[in-house]
Amino acid sequence: MSLPGDPVLDRVYHPGAVPVRLVRAEIMKIRTTSIWWLFLLGVVVFTAGALWANAVSHHLELYPPLGSLTGAARVQAVTQAARARTHSGLVAIAANMMTSGQFLGVLFAMLIGVLVITSEFAHQTATATFLATPRRAVVITAKLVAAAGFGALFWLVSTIMDALITPFYLYSQHVSVSLTSWIVVRSVLLSLLAFAIWACFGLGLGALVRSQIGSVITGMAVYLAGLAAVEITFHLIYNFYPHGWVLGAPVIAPAVASTVMITPGRAFAHAPPQWAGLVIMVGYAAALAASGIAMTRRRDVT
Amino acid sequence: MADARADSGRTMLIVAAALVIGGLVWLVGRRRDSGARGLAEGVPPLSPHRPREPRPIPEARLPEGQIVVSGLTKQYRDVRAVDGLSFAVEPGRVTGFLGPNGAGKTTTLRMLLGLVAPTAGSATIGGVRYADLRDPLCRVGGVLEASGGHPARTGRNHLRILCLSAGLPLGRADEVLALVGLTAAGNRKFREYSLGMRQRLGVAAALIGDPQVLILDEPVNGLDPEGIRWMRDLLRALAAEGRTILVSSHLLSEMELLADDLIIIAAGKLAAQGSVVSVAGSLVHGSRTLVRTPDVDGLMAALAGRAMVTPGDNGEVYVTGVDAAEIGDAAQQAGIAIHQLATQRPDLEAAFLEVTRGKTAIR
Repeated sequence: MSLPGDPVLDRVYHPGAVPVRLVRAEIMKIRTTSIWWLFLLGVVVFTAGALWANAVSHHLELYPPLGSLTGAARVQAVTQAARARTHSGLVAIAANMMTSGQFLGVLFAMLIGVLVITSEFAHQTATATFLATPRRAVVITAKLVAAAGFGALFWLVSTIMDALITPFYLYSQHVSVSLTSWIVVRSVLLSLLAFAIWACFGLGLGALVRSQIGSVITGMAVYLAGLAAVEITFHLIYNFYPHGWVLGAPVIAPAVASTVMITPGRAFAHAPPQWAGLVIMVGYAAALAASGIAMTRRRDVT
Repeated sequence: MADARADSGRTMLIVAAALVIGGLVWLVGRRRDSGARGLAEGVPPLSPHRPREPRPIPEARLPEGQIVVSGLTKQYRDVRAVDGLSFAVEPGRVTGFLGPNGAGKTTTLRMLLGLVAPTAGSATIGGVRYADLRDPLCRVGGVLEASGGHPARTGRNHLRILCLSAGLPLGRADEVLALVGLTAAGNRKFREYSLGMRQRLGVAAALIGDPQVLILDEPVNGLDPEGIRWMRDLLRALAAEGRTILVSSHLLSEMELLADDLIIIAAGKLAAQGSVVSVAGSLVHGSRTLVRTPDVDGLMAALAGRAMVTPGDNGEVYVTGVDAAEIGDAAQQAGIAIHQLATQRPDLEAAFLEVTRGKTAIR
């Protein structure tokens, strides 16, 4: 029975700094359940789908089926193709291909952030977690790092798929653009940032809402329904108040902001610059994570 | 045009880098602050930079295991779950924490473990609030009623995660699994565990850091007789090593066998405290004498005005108000035969019902 004499505890052991071992513990929590590889599978499927869809749409952009078009539509298609074939147009196509799967991929990063915190309350493991580390802000910070790490893993898998397909696709379309050009690389790196930020966004949301189903639904609604809602709202406003910035205003929706942030140049007509998207995304994630930490510190664990 | 774009890209990267660096600086600064601020009075301050030497292993049983609860109060919206509760729990003994359902046992234990914030009062372990403990798992082990686990995670991984966060070697997980007899089930998933196995896993988690103090909330719930026996032997052995054991229960018979000391609460307030013998003995007026006699009516007449006689089964009567010697004398003077005369001490059950009477309603 005598515990003090137990061999393992008596061995000299270097546990490492507290934050490091807490992050390792949080990563192990994700790793020891099946959800992360199901999500990874989702990322793979959506990346494949996005690659296919982008490939088709860029092909039609570069080589419009002029034979079936007449009049104004034909003129528009020709102009569009001419614009796409400029250097910046080709770079934009390359960047878009290299970030295929990002739009729905970040959704999985957000969901893993949500689950990292809500599963602790759903399965009552929060008690054990906070007994081991009563400093709750440190626990949540470790969770943020771990969730962002899994977001980065999703990005890595998605980007490897993109990097395998894109060169062949561009070659087949007779587009010669260097994939190592700074604009493309910058988009790919910003996409990594988007995955990490969305994971933090989800974690903050989960810490606020606490209910697993509740925060998953809220997160999906903010991402997908929020996107449609701002588009419709600001187009209606534009009808009464026709200023260009109104059409750029949908960037306040997180899903739009993250698209703006990774798209080189303008993501859509009147879209604000890339850095605005980045600032808005970082702002949302930081506000949610901070209020999630504050809430977790204040609430009783029962 | 291309230059302008590259410029804005560079600006953006600089802004992002500034944000990240600023955030990191802020975080590190705040960590230092909270280390200095969050200390209870009289606790030596932690050095601002944490020493990197290996975790100090508590070798001797230091006199650090005393639990002191003082004026502890928890007010929920319209219910005062715990109301000015004060008690002390000593090391080397098993202390039973008893009370009817809804008395505030779980809330008290959760406040003691820093999971629920008290409205007023304090709860300390070895003079320190749980939240201020360094290496809490190596000082205090908690088994709470709802000891949960992720359904898809194995018991062994559950413990390994705790090892990681407490800075213990991962092999410790297998040691405590063996200690609670779960080695064979270690690689099974939590959802396949029976209630008894879950309780054992909770105990394993509590013992992972070899703590001086153990706090258990209803640990025998869901255990079979063999499991109850195992839990009793384990807790007694741990107390014999000088550890502090605080265990809540509503099973009085179990506490009679297990506990040295008792703390009884009702409606969030302290109802009785002391050793098992003294708590039971403090209610002497409740003691009664079993009498077996062929002449019940004669005995009632002989004792009239002095004692109360209530008939029992099989021709026995119970006499309260006078002791056995007086009954014997009175019977002899009246010429009544006595076949059996036995004093019955009040048991814990009676004491418990006595001190919690009228406070058991759902609040």
